[in-house]
Parts: sequence; structure tokens; C-alpha cells
Amino acid sequence: MAAESVRKFEALEAQAAILLDVFKRGGFEQVAPSIIQPADIFLDQIGEAIRGRTYVFTDLTGEELCLRPDLTVPVSRLYLERHPRADVEARYCYNGPAFRFQQKGASQTHPREFRQAGIECFGVADRDNADAEVVLLVADAVRSAGLKQFRFRFGDIALFFALLDALSLPERWRLKLRHYFWRPPAFHTLLSRLAKGEAPDSDGPVAEFAATLAAQTPSRAEELVANYLETNDLPLSGNRTMSEITERLLDHAADLRAEPLPREVATVIDYYLAVEASPREAIDRIALIGQGAGIDLGPALYVLYRRFDLLEERGINVDAASFATEFGRDLEYYSGLVFQIEVTGDKTSPIAGGGRYDGLLRSVGARAEVPAVGSAIHTERLLAAVKGLS
Amino acid sequence: MAAKLAIAVPAKGRLKDTAAALFERAGLALRKTGHERGYSGVVHGLDGVKVAFLSAAEIVHQLKAGRVHIGLTGEDLIRETLPDVEGSVEFLRPLGFGRADVVVAVPDCWIDVARMADLEDVAAQFARVHGRRLRVATKYLNLTRRFFARAGVAGYRIVESVGATEGTPAAGTAELIVDITTTGTTLAANHLKVLEDGLILQSQAHLFAARGAEWTKSTMRLRDAILDQLSSAAKEVGD
Repeated sequence: MAAESVRKFEALEAQAAILLDVFKRGGFEQVAPSIIQPADIFLDQIGEAIRGRTYVFTDLTGEELCLRPDLTVPVSRLYLERHPRADVEARYCYNGPAFRFQQKGASQTHPREFRQAGIECFGVADRDNADAEVVLLVADAVRSAGLKQFRFRFGDIALFFALLDALSLPERWRLKLRHYFWRPPAFHTLLSRLAKGEAPDSDGPVAEFAATLAAQTPSRAEELVANYLETNDLPLSGNRTMSEITERLLDHAADLRAEPLPREVATVIDYYLAVEASPREAIDRIALIGQGAGIDLGPALYVLYRRFDLLEERGINVDAASFATEFGRDLEYYSGLVFQIEVTGDKTSPIAGGGRYDGLLRSVGARAEVPAVGSAIHTERLLAAVKGLS
Repeated sequence: MAAKLAIAVPAKGRLKDTAAALFERAGLALRKTGHERGYSGVVHGLDGVKVAFLSAAEIVHQLKAGRVHIGLTGEDLIRETLPDVEGSVEFLRPLGFGRADVVVAVPDCWIDVARMADLEDVAAQFARVHGRRLRVATKYLNLTRRFFARAGVAGYRIVESVGATEGTPAAGTAELIVDITTTGTTLAANHLKVLEDGLILQSQAHLFAARGAEWTKSTMRLRDAILDQLSSAAKEVGD
């Protein structure tokens, strides 16, 4: 194991000073969130995929802790600690280490221990402007650090949800597709299953029982489920409730009798998820896909247009960027704009990344959703790119 | 003097007595040297072998490090603990005892759940209603992660559990479990059912050889001798 956390330490420190200076001049206050974090929040929100990459340990009191795998959650906790009611605007910047286990072994582009410099912007109700502010400031920062050639990749999670809302499909399938969006292979299996009209298993005593619930109201169905459990000596236990079990049985019953998902609807979703082009071309294509399906994506697309206009007005070369509808499907807390800064078209080792995550603060303790958008720079990669190393 | 063959056997736990009896029957009685409560010994009537009495988990670590040549332990622990199973150990022989299935089990009142595919749907619903992921209680972190990933289930988190795992769903500290079961009686008593496709591994006691140990002509000859004698004895055990 390497004895030195980072080579070129002085150069990194000098670079961090430049980045932080840009952030602070942009109105972002420098903060120092804890390196050791409660493991619970990360594991509950980000799940086992990240746990597998997080250094989790138990201290002498038995508390489960972790070395922060990124800084967005720690800074969100810091905001809530300072403003428990989450009712004020706050802009924070930071520079510090984060830690990730690298399954294929640590390397220079994927180190075990790396330094992130970034910004997080909380509570700003004008989301379009806050999004643009963050994108522009990060671009300004990497440029100030000496990065001359880079391009943006954009995506938008909210647009996919707007598409689902506009399509005509049963609410239970809408909920399912929303959830499976974050699990791309399972999503495509589900979509083709729905489109083929494959009915769920209709054999077995439970399926037979579920079918008898079909015509019942939810409360009557719940009574019948309670009776079934009692008759069969299956006492209700654990955290799932009778109504949750009943809801899924009713969904099952409805699926048994449902018409398949219209082929056009599945096709629209497939076409949508295949869009990758420069931002304005992508928006035009998505609009066409919507028109073809007879649905109105106008308002959601207008938000996108406006965002790219704002960015262009303030100096971003939008036509050189790319927009991919698939981009951002790997981090479940994103809720709107997602973006990353790439050099030489390398998608897997971005220099910086970020996006909007309006739902995250509620899951770390806020009472309601809080507008939030941020971005982090992978500082070792930035330095390597600036110095012309790979 | 030729290098000795180091062999590790369980010092406690469910495999200990059966393992000792098997060696005895094979004419390879294990004898502790020194203090009766000590942890090292020899094989009666076979020179050049030293025996280490260790915990099942420690046997896996010693095999991985190549500090013992041969180890007797459960396949479940090997597959759970070693990141590179095939590169670290060789499966010398299944021993026909210590059988246990590693399974995914859920409360039997979940009549809407029969298979792994149902779990992701339940995870989606659970997140909507309770605002968090399903919790899976287990000591098999890696087996669980790999199996769930293959089944396309991602909306869960693991809570580590080293004892009385089957009680966690009723206690409310987990929603489901991954655990070993031999007859299913304990699961049933706790109102848990195994998912139809929830069998992760059919484990039993195995004899493993460490690829990283120092293998010489003499240690290899001793390994073959032990294997021969154990093999004929193991056949008589039946299941």
C-alpha cells in the first residue's frame, strides 16, 4: 500500500487555493465537514453499491462510521446542522479528502484517497439560475486552474420523469418505471415484459387468492388479507404493514387482467433513452419524439432551452457540449440537471461532476424537499490534465 | 530435515467434533501437544505433520496467507471471505458433513413475495412508504452483495448480524435475512420462508489446500497420504 497519499502535494495545494479563491469570490463560504461520518445515512441513501466502495468501520462504542466517500452528503448535513429548518439560502465551498475502495486496485486516475474541491448551493428557489450559477462557477474554476480544453456532458433526470408523467399508463407501472430508471438492466427487462404483455405468474395459492381481491376496495381487500393471514397461521410481523402487502397483491391482480403496455409507449421510452446529441439538437429530437406520441413535453423542454440559453449568454459553448438522456442514472439522489466536465472525451474519468438533488436533504433529516445543486472537482485529475499527464 | 505439512482444523463450532471423528476413523487421530487446552498438535502415527486448532474463520485467513498447507472449513466461509477463491485455494475434497444452505428468507406473512424479482418491487414500495431502503441482516456481506447484484436487486442495505439473525425481522431491526439453514426448522419457528430462487450456496465442510503455501515433495506426499486415508473414511460417513 502506498505510503504517500498524494504526490505533487505542493502543486495540488496551490491549485486548491486557486479553486477556492474562485468559489469564494463567487459568494461561496468555505466549510470543513467531518471526514468521519455516520455510516447509516450513506448506506440508507446510497445503498450497497457504494457501501462496497466505502470504508465502513465500528468504533469502540459500537457506532457504525465511515470515511466519507464524497462530500455532498457531509455538506448537506452541515447545512442542516446550521439551519435545522432549512429555510435560508446558503452557498458553501470546500476542499478535502474523500475515500473509496477501488475493486480493481487503486490507480492514479482511480485512487483510494483523493481530494475533492467543490460547491453546494442550498435553498435557492430560482432553480434555473442556481443551476446555471453552479455550472458557470465550476467552469470558471477549472479554467482558472489552467484547464484550456474541456467539454460538458449534460443530462436531466426531471425530463425523464416528465415524460413518464405525460405518457398514458397505469399509475402502478409509472411508479415501477420511476424506480427502475436507476437500475438500467432491470429497467429494460421490465419495459419489454410490460410491452409483451407477459402476465405475472398466475399459478399457486397466493396468485389465486390475489385474483379474488381484484374487485374489492382497498380497505375491504385489506380485511380479506388479514383473514387470509390468520387462517393460514402467518402472523403479521416486521416493518411492512398489512396495507403494503395488500397494495402489492392488488397490483398483482390488476397486472393479471391488464392489457399490455401499448407498443408505442414502450418505443417512445426506448427512443427517448437513446437520445445523445448536442443540447439543442437533443431537445429538438425529444420534442419530435413527444409530438409523435401525441404528448406535450413543452414546459419541461422550455426549462431546458432556457437553461442552455442562460449558459450560452454567460460564455459556455453549448453547441460543443453533449446531452445524453441516459446520463446520471447511476446516482439515485439526483433529481434534475446533471453534468460533468470531460477532457478528450473520456466519460469514465471526468474532471468534475455535479447536479441537482432536491430530495437528498429530506432524507438526511429536513422536513421537506430543499432545492439543492452542487458540483465537485476531482483535483488530482484536474492537475494531471492541466500538466498534460494522463 | 524436510519441511512439515501444516494442517488447520476447527477448534470449536459445529464442524469440530465431526472433523475430529473423521480423522480418527481414517487412522489419523489428532493429538494435542503440550497443554490440553493448547492449540497445536500432531497426527498420531504420521510424522512430519503439525496440526493447528483454530476457529473456522481463522482457518480461512491462514489458508489465504499460505501459513498452513491444508485447512478444513466450510465452503460458505471460503466463498464469503476470499476475494479470489480459485486463486487462493484448491478444493481438495467435499467431506459430506457440515451441510448448510445459505439462503434469502423473508417473513412468511409477505404473501406477495415469492422470488428475488419481487424484492426490488418491495424495495421500491418500502422506500416510498418508509423513506429508506430494505435492510438485510446477515453475516455474509459479500455473498449477499454478489447474489443480489446478479438478481438485479439494488434497493437494500445490509446490517451486519453475527448471531440470532433469524430474530431480526420480528424485532424490526431488519426486513429480511441471509443466513444458513440446515433443516429449515429455525426459519419456520421464526415465521420466515426461503424465496423460491433464494438459494445462494449449498455449503458443506471441505478440505482446502492453500495455493500460497510452500509446497515441497515431502509436503505434497503427506498431503496425498492424508487425502487418501480421509477419502476412504469419508465414504463410510454417509449423509
